[in-house]
Amino acid sequence: MDFGFSEQQRDVQNLARQILSDNVTAEKLSQYDDYKAERFDRELWQKLADAGLLGVAIDEEFGGMGFGFFELGLLVEEAGRTIAPLPLISHLISAALPIQQFASQTQKQVWLPKVASGEILLTAALSEAYNDDPAQPYLTLAKADGSDLLLSGEKTNVPFAHIADRILLAAKTSDGVAVVLLDPKADGVSLSAQQVTTYEPQYVVSLNNVRIGAGDILASGTEGQALMQWIAERTTVALCAHQLGTSDKAMRMSASYTAERKQFGVLISTFQAVGHRAANCFIDVECLRLNTYQAISRLDGGLDATNEVQIAKIWAGDVGHRVSYAAQHLHGGTGIDRDYPLWRYCTWLRHNEMALGSSAKTLAKLGKRIAAGEAFCS
Amino acid sequence: MKVEFTAAQDALRKELRTYFENLMTPDLKAECDEAMGEGGGPLWREALKKMGKDGWIGVGWPKELGGRGMSPIEQFIFVEEVMRAGYPFPFLTTESVGPQLAEHGNERQKREIVPKILAGECLIAIGYSEPGAGTDLASLKTTAVKDGDGWLINGQKMWTSLAHFCDYVWLACRTDPEAAKPHKGISMFMVPTSDPGWSCSPVHTLGEVRTNATFYDNIRVADDAMVGELHGGWKLITSQLNRERLSLVNFGPTAEMFNNVVRWAQKLDLPDGGKLIDEAWVQINLAKVRAGVEALKLVCYKQAWAMTEGNLEMADASAAKVYGSEFFIEVYRLLGEVIGEASLISRRTEGANPIASRIERLYRTASIITFGGGTNEIQRDIISAAGLWMPRASR
Repeated sequence: MDFGFSEQQRDVQNLARQILSDNVTAEKLSQYDDYKAERFDRELWQKLADAGLLGVAIDEEFGGMGFGFFELGLLVEEAGRTIAPLPLISHLISAALPIQQFASQTQKQVWLPKVASGEILLTAALSEAYNDDPAQPYLTLAKADGSDLLLSGEKTNVPFAHIADRILLAAKTSDGVAVVLLDPKADGVSLSAQQVTTYEPQYVVSLNNVRIGAGDILASGTEGQALMQWIAERTTVALCAHQLGTSDKAMRMSASYTAERKQFGVLISTFQAVGHRAANCFIDVECLRLNTYQAISRLDGGLDATNEVQIAKIWAGDVGHRVSYAAQHLHGGTGIDRDYPLWRYCTWLRHNEMALGSSAKTLAKLGKRIAAGEAFCS
Repeated sequence: MKVEFTAAQDALRKELRTYFENLMTPDLKAECDEAMGEGGGPLWREALKKMGKDGWIGVGWPKELGGRGMSPIEQFIFVEEVMRAGYPFPFLTTESVGPQLAEHGNERQKREIVPKILAGECLIAIGYSEPGAGTDLASLKTTAVKDGDGWLINGQKMWTSLAHFCDYVWLACRTDPEAAKPHKGISMFMVPTSDPGWSCSPVHTLGEVRTNATFYDNIRVADDAMVGELHGGWKLITSQLNRERLSLVNFGPTAEMFNNVVRWAQKLDLPDGGKLIDEAWVQINLAKVRAGVEALKLVCYKQAWAMTEGNLEMADASAAKVYGSEFFIEVYRLLGEVIGEASLISRRTEGANPIASRIERLYRTASIITFGGGTNEIQRDIISAAGLWMPRASR
């Protein structure tokens, strides 16, 4: 048991923190508000690629650093700390990682080097309308046509679908789930923009008899379902890591504010009620941090982590919610003033809370596992 | 970072679990139940000595002090398992005062007291609070006055838990009434409860746990009863409390209770068919406990690890104490709800369900550690100041 970062992990963390904090400013973020511009800083994306960080968990033979999932998680945490305008989770965790883990050597050769270099953009379609279980698609169907598949249906909230080179997407088949790499420019694909709370570009992806060649099928049947479960767990934990960075920053912003703001002639931090609300955030964030690191650590080590991922997501939802409103409250009107940077954090705290299963829903899932005898304390 | 136990640590947990299954005989369990989770009985003492003889009490202590030389993580694994087994382990002695004596004690204390602690033959109570000094501990009035080559001690302490069967009180005394700041005039002494000037009277509490008022009437101790430096007691008090806070919120017993309630609910038939555990609300209650226990486990082990690294942070120790103490209260409610009215039936009722009656007892004791061991308001003050650098009001 070791709660310390390795030198390699510290290096990744420091490098990511430096590049992101130097390059993401409130002023820059403001240009994306209300969808005034596409929320994607391509210059910064290229800087991360040049520093090797986009390839942090891509094998060396494909031009990456060859580090593990833990280092990738640390990068995502730093992206959360700055709420960087970058599609890191959809590109690297939901799409590139499964390609590296499950795709053929040819597919890997085609995609991974360009993932690491930032030349292409991948994304994943994990949600359908009112269905946020990536492993159980039922509004997108695939039927076999020779060795090809024909896909019809609809995915929702797909980040950056309009500029993605491929969308990893799952469809229900007669014998399970087919996981494919979809070219959004293919015949029968139409995109319609959604406006969401974070101003991230997201799309409804509609499929009308879209032909997928055998070379673009990653898995099918029960294997496909397992693959989607694999993606769901890693993406869920990535959301937790993002939530960790976001909530830690919102909390520290609030603590600093109370150490500057005076009322009744004294700093408001000296009021016990104020200090205690911040202390509750500190405890919350620590619980989120440790549960997130535990889930990442287990996945990184190839261990079963279903319970730990669910527990981390429950904390991510609860902590995000509590820290968001504590931070707004401790700032008073300043917290909701759009000229002050906190409000953007609150939208991401909400995003990470709701994406891929809220606390309530995840508690219910964990409860089922407990009932089935699958979640005893060791 | 590797948050999982190593193979050796897993093996140690298994070994200890078996060890305690054997150690906790029905007679010992019954005696511990009778003592309301405090210990102090003859079988309890015998078991403690056996643990000492078997080298467990000091498993994470350095070899030169008589330990096994493993790390604080292994020490915490041991404490987790012993408490999980339902043995009221005297962690105040072994986990908080003991290490202070080993680090700051004089030659005699290291030679005579420390080995006895590791052998399970010496028990120590904590003498801090007084009738007029609780949260504002530095205002304490019990005095130690220089008397030739020794000290004369007079005063009264409150909430001196376990003192009625302890050998010493780790006693905070005022040695400099003129000190510029009250906490700079305090020194620590090891006061034997065998002294004729020492007496105690019981205080009975909601949870049936006994605590004590203790009285110090012209007790004369030698110079070498002092621990650490003259007027240097405050540092010892705060670092003892940091260690105590970690022990107070050990997650072992809660993990065990959760597992027991799950197994019980899996078997309990409902009137309209099905099992209790099939109920959605039961699953939600259990999931809340499960998610909370996991956090407690990690918070505890992170600190055991921090001790290994020699950097136990004050804010983290306080965070663990606040989180754990408030979580326990929730646990006894959430699990009590699952069990229902049966969780009101005392263990004294013939045929009482032991899982339910344990909750009947524990919910009555749960508030103790939200204020004991340093009230949670002060812990939150520490967290906002030391963890978030928020300037605090002067007192």
